Amino acid sequence: MRLRMMIGAGLVLGLTTVTVLATVALTAPEPQPYGPPVGPRMPQDSGAGELLVVVVGGVYPTRVEAQEANAAMAFGDLHGYYVVPVGQFQGFEQQAGQPGDFALVSAFRTDEGAQGFAALATSFGHPATILPERVRSLGGLYAGLGQEANPDGSGPLLGPIEESVG
Amino acid sequence: MDGAGPARHPAGRRLLSLALGLAVLAPLLVGWHWARLGWRDGHRNYPARPSGYTQIVNRFGQPCSADASKIPMSWRASDNGVTYSFRFHKKLGGYPTAMVSDKGGTSTNLDNDVYGHIQNDHLQPYIEHGIYGYVCRYIRNTTKWSTHAFGIAIDVSSAEEYEGKCTSTVNRYHRHIWEGHGWYWGLAFCDPMHFQYATGY
Repeated sequence: MRLRMMIGAGLVLGLTTVTVLATVALTAPEPQPYGPPVGPRMPQDSGAGELLVVVVGGVYPTRVEAQEANAAMAFGDLHGYYVVPVGQFQGFEQQAGQPGDFALVSAFRTDEGAQGFAALATSFGHPATILPERVRSLGGLYAGLGQEANPDGSGPLLGPIEESVG
Repeated sequence: MDGAGPARHPAGRRLLSLALGLAVLAPLLVGWHWARLGWRDGHRNYPARPSGYTQIVNRFGQPCSADASKIPMSWRASDNGVTYSFRFHKKLGGYPTAMVSDKGGTSTNLDNDVYGHIQNDHLQPYIEHGIYGYVCRYIRNTTKWSTHAFGIAIDVSSAEEYEGKCTSTVNRYHRHIWEGHGWYWGLAFCDPMHFQYATGY
């Protein structure tokens, strides 16, 4: 009799434990590996019509070659260069490349932004040349505009400034 | 016969002297700590660690702001001897201590406490080349701000602990110090170079 009671009690205890564990497992939030960002997507501003400062990481005759070169340039978890046709910047070909070429670029509205990115690229061991003259954006593919500090210190610079609309 | 012994084994005597010298010096070397230079763990004014984008902005302000890049710091990599200069948020360091000059920051977290602990615990040999802080830049292949843009992320030993590697060879020796001071280690998302003062992002 006592043995039966003990077995019964054990079964009840075991079933209760399993039920509790199952309930907790069903209701507990999934573990969140930190990493997938949940912040807002920023607009891909082409700066069409503006005069921009461009940092160049290389110029290649084809898009595929440019993309391969870009893939080989690691910037850790940060975005580095963008592959664009040189023709989308008026004045680019006068300073680097030929018509029809593709370039690794990152575009900026301020000299400070361009210098900061060039320093970052160099510290990673990547080429980085700031075109001596500003070039006019004709629109087209996203070239990284918007990733620089506003000179007033408030946050990112997300619109034209006097130097870029001149 | 008795006097001839040592003369016949001069190498043995030298070895014995060396061993005795090491036995005396070793405890002295092991016993040296950075604290003897005046360093103390300040643990002053740490901000609460935010979780998610909204809390990050509420606590540290906009990405690429002047506050995000307010505090300069230098750190020498042990493997190549290069000293890396980088910047970070003013709420994570720059407070004056015995080892840090007043840089206009509000806490002792990174430049005094984390750095000091790593020096004091003789873990500097595990700080290898590639050390980065504030950068106004998006996460790779996205248009979302990196935690680096807020000045709340530091990459350490970036060449050795590259992104995509899901194990750690050097940063694992000092990760406990970062974690003990509020930093989250990126190994969980296979980015072992990365320490950030935020979770959920």
